Amino acid sequence: MSSHRVALVRAGFLLVWALTTLNVRADEPKPTPENTIHVQLGAPVPPQKFAKPPKFYISEVIDRSGNPQPLLVLRERGGVFLDRQPTQITREAIEQSLKAADLLAADGVSADLVLQVYVFHFGLAQGSGLDFFGKVEFSVTVKNLKTEESQQIQAVGTSIANVAVRKKNIQKNVQANIEAALEDAVRNLVRGTQLREAVGSLLKNSPNAPAAVPGNNMAFVRGTGDGSNCFRSRFEER
Amino acid sequence: MRLLTVALIATLVLAPGAAAKDPESNYKTAEAKHFTRVEGVELSPAFTDYLYAELRNELAKTKLFVQVIGEGEAVEDADAANSIVLEGVITEYKKGNRATDAIIGFGVGARSLKLDVNLTRRSDHQNLGAIKVQIKISPRWNEEVMANVAAHRIAHEVKKGLKEKTKG
Repeated sequence: MSSHRVALVRAGFLLVWALTTLNVRADEPKPTPENTIHVQLGAPVPPQKFAKPPKFYISEVIDRSGNPQPLLVLRERGGVFLDRQPTQITREAIEQSLKAADLLAADGVSADLVLQVYVFHFGLAQGSGLDFFGKVEFSVTVKNLKTEESQQIQAVGTSIANVAVRKKNIQKNVQANIEAALEDAVRNLVRGTQLREAVGSLLKNSPNAPAAVPGNNMAFVRGTGDGSNCFRSRFEER
Repeated sequence: MRLLTVALIATLVLAPGAAAKDPESNYKTAEAKHFTRVEGVELSPAFTDYLYAELRNELAKTKLFVQVIGEGEAVEDADAANSIVLEGVITEYKKGNRATDAIIGFGVGARSLKLDVNLTRRSDHQNLGAIKVQIKISPRWNEEVMANVAAHRIAHEVKKGLKEKTKG
């Protein structure tokens, strides 16, 4: 009789545990075609111009966000998910922009500089609650395989969009917001002075180093060949 | 008579729009940098990022600039003379007191933030103005709301200052 009672109590505990677990699982959003968004660049970002454009190659894109669920961008209202990994989206966005300007090499061997991208943040960040704060942050190691020299540069993209009430609009705003932040981050990278300086210093001893574009603040002054550090941008000269 | 009425209605419709139009987009680019902070300012690291994003957003809303670029982005030489750089320092932050704010109110116990902002021309680094901003909000609001208010105020002051400079 007592063993029956113990078994009953055990069964009761098991039932409560199972129900609790199911409840927790029900709160956890699941990716479905309805709550999955496709993030991509609307149009390639035009990079800064080089008279002798270097060829870049993206060797790898590594996720350093520490986010256990990188595809989940919004937990509330049934969740909003990305359809691809942030690393893949970032790679595609940078490659798309470099390719449009004919700065993308087919492989690492034919490239002047190899890029290794570390994604630190991709998606939404803590906002005021009255808006969506989109943030894409990554750092890029630019490496010259011939000289084995490398430099690290940072790129950050932000975007702020209004919140919405309807789930459909939330999804639309989140997508637009992340796309804008991604575009901003790619622009920050390809049009940034950090990339200009990195390219200038890493290719200074290279025979086909990029030279200055007249009237453009984003290019380089060719070295005199005496080994001195003559690669100063016009911006620096001012 | 009918023609006069039509002309009058057309004037009433078009005049306010024409009057409201300022000589907008005088500047090619504006670059907002991440604000630095003096020692002792206890704000989260995310605050600076959010303030930077909000500031860019608010500067774009002023319609004074063709483009609001990110920190460290290059600008073409031709546009440099018509471009500004905005730098700032968070000089003071008081987190306020919720109880005092609730009991006394009227700004007592409010959360306050002081910022010094410098506007410079990109081409020759000429100082275009210095702005001091102090904002006070209820301690019940979070840091991001404070950043939002601060960015709005800075953008407003920048617009005012640059317009005065253009007129003067």
